[in-house]
Amino acid sequence: MNNSDLERQDQEILELLKDYPAPTADAGFYEHALARATHEGSRRQRNRWVMTGFGSAIAAGLVLWFVGATFLATPNLPQPEDSIPGITMTLEEPRTVNLVFASAAALDAATLTVTLPDGIELAGFPGQREITWQTSLVEGKNFLPLELIALSSVGGEVLARLEHDDRDRTFRLRVEVS
Amino acid sequence: MSDEINKQLFQRLVQPHFERLYRLAFRLTGRKPEAEDLFQELLIKAYGKLDDLVAIEEPGSWLSRVMYNLFIDEQRRFARRRMHTVEEGFLPVDGIEGFAGNESPEQDQRRLEKLNQLDLALKQLSDEHRLIVLLHDAEGYKLDEIHTLIGIPVGTVKSRLHRARARLREILTETGTFS
Repeated sequence: MNNSDLERQDQEILELLKDYPAPTADAGFYEHALARATHEGSRRQRNRWVMTGFGSAIAAGLVLWFVGATFLATPNLPQPEDSIPGITMTLEEPRTVNLVFASAAALDAATLTVTLPDGIELAGFPGQREITWQTSLVEGKNFLPLELIALSSVGGEVLARLEHDDRDRTFRLRVEVS
Repeated sequence: MSDEINKQLFQRLVQPHFERLYRLAFRLTGRKPEAEDLFQELLIKAYGKLDDLVAIEEPGSWLSRVMYNLFIDEQRRFARRRMHTVEEGFLPVDGIEGFAGNESPEQDQRRLEKLNQLDLALKQLSDEHRLIVLLHDAEGYKLDEIHTLIGIPVGTVKSRLHRARARLREILTETGTFS
């Protein structure tokens, strides 16, 4: 193949790349994104642990778990049903649930996996039953707001599985929908 | 400043960059839902840094960098989600269907086929090469803009771009895409 063939092919690739499509935002997407950002601001960082004052977390539904320094090393025993924290949601009405993990020690590179029952979604993750974050826990209270939406009245359990190294612990949150 | 003034100021600073940022989000993630999620994350983060944003000379570049860094930080999450959908293709179906041809139906069809071949070829590139070739050749970013965005020397950007194009040419030749 000579140089002019190569140049012609390169030119053709460039022209194809210029036509290589990217979608445009749906109507109202930008306005919605802007409104959400300004209304929820920096506290709405659902994929980040945010250490915060305990008092400020109480405004919405709040679930507190204490994470001992050796919590991951202890057996993951079944939780008695009456000790599982619960919330009641209204159908199709978003509700922020603040998960607060009080950790006795800092934990680096922990992984949190949230598993949702059918009919409950995490805002921004439509149709996803499992969402995973990698994060670190600071010593003290670690605050993670999750905006849940109930799309059916069935309810169920939201599971939050925290993993560190080869150990893990699963926390349960009962959700009822009225 | 009151909340309302903050909101208006924020909107004034970010709105002119929406379309470019949206496309960048799509080029980074490869799928519309993830792109929109990344776009939303960027706005939330940027609003939390409004004081910084106000003082910045080129908000567009700053926002692009913040988006790129967010993407890198969350790559594990995005990569995990992309793995689930790799068989769906890098190019969105509506993108192909939405291709606006302006030639004869036969020529448009041939062009569409070539775009599909290009899509498959792009998927065979490494993430770094694909991103650079898309930003430079599809989105029109300058070399120094890519350098600023992803934090690698201009020379490295150039050499990656060169290798990416060469690899694309190689793949497209093998698939008989060229006329």
